[in-house]
Amino acid sequence: MAEAEARKSMIKIKPKKFKTGDIVKVDFIVIHPMDTGLSKDKKTGQIKPAHYIDNITFSFDGKPFTTMKVWETVSTNPYFSVNFKVPGKGKITVDYTDNTGEKNSKSKKLKPKD
Amino acid sequence: MKRRSFIKSMMAVSAVAVTPVALMAKEEAKAKKKGPNDLAFEAAVKAITSGKEVKDSEKIKLTVPEIAENGAVVPVKVEVDHPMEEANYVKAIHVLNTKNGNTRCVDVMLTPANGKGYFATRVKLGGTQEVVALVELSDGTFIKAGKSVKVTIGGCG
Repeated sequence: MAEAEARKSMIKIKPKKFKTGDIVKVDFIVIHPMDTGLSKDKKTGQIKPAHYIDNITFSFDGKPFTTMKVWETVSTNPYFSVNFKVPGKGKITVDYTDNTGEKNSKSKKLKPKD
Repeated sequence: MKRRSFIKSMMAVSAVAVTPVALMAKEEAKAKKKGPNDLAFEAAVKAITSGKEVKDSEKIKLTVPEIAENGAVVPVKVEVDHPMEEANYVKAIHVLNTKNGNTRCVDVMLTPANGKGYFATRVKLGGTQEVVALVELSDGTFIKAGKSVKVTIGGCG
């Protein structure tokens, strides 16, 4: 899907400097319409079909630590923030799927300063 | 005078003729307006807890704006004051609303690796209503906290 490839997403770790064992905030933002299936397209007047993210998995080095089930009541361009206790160097990966079957993932390296 | 009274009567007639039609159209639109997973609040709570008792708790700190100018973007923050150890941790945070078509927003399944029971997101609210955080602890008990949000412009379609 061409549209799926173009979808922008971002993982932010807060604060920027952290050590092993610290609890950091992991923010995940994705550009997604999150259509509820109720609103009309302003140009065509047709009702837009529902299109929303339904599953998100946060994992660290392949081990999932948080999973989410999401409904269409979440805002456009959603933002999800969870805490994570840094066990050491590694990679945070966020996989997400939406109700049309689109699959995407985004990762970011975790580099604690000891 | 005749003309004036004629116009008045015409206006009255048209007003009477238009309103029921308009009302019916509105009601029809309301009836049709159903999302893909409509779920009432009680049913949603039952689906999550499967009939278990839910207690109000001060352990949950729910942060929502008192007045949301734009219902399409309402920030919600949930913090649970509970340990995150292997045997005793916050298992899940469910964010719900009370009056949208679909009252479920997000279910977050946490693990001890999270270090803290915290979750933040942004939700859509169709009107003035309550946002409820329903938290499941690892021993199977449920606690909740709710706060009402006044919405000036609805955000659902």
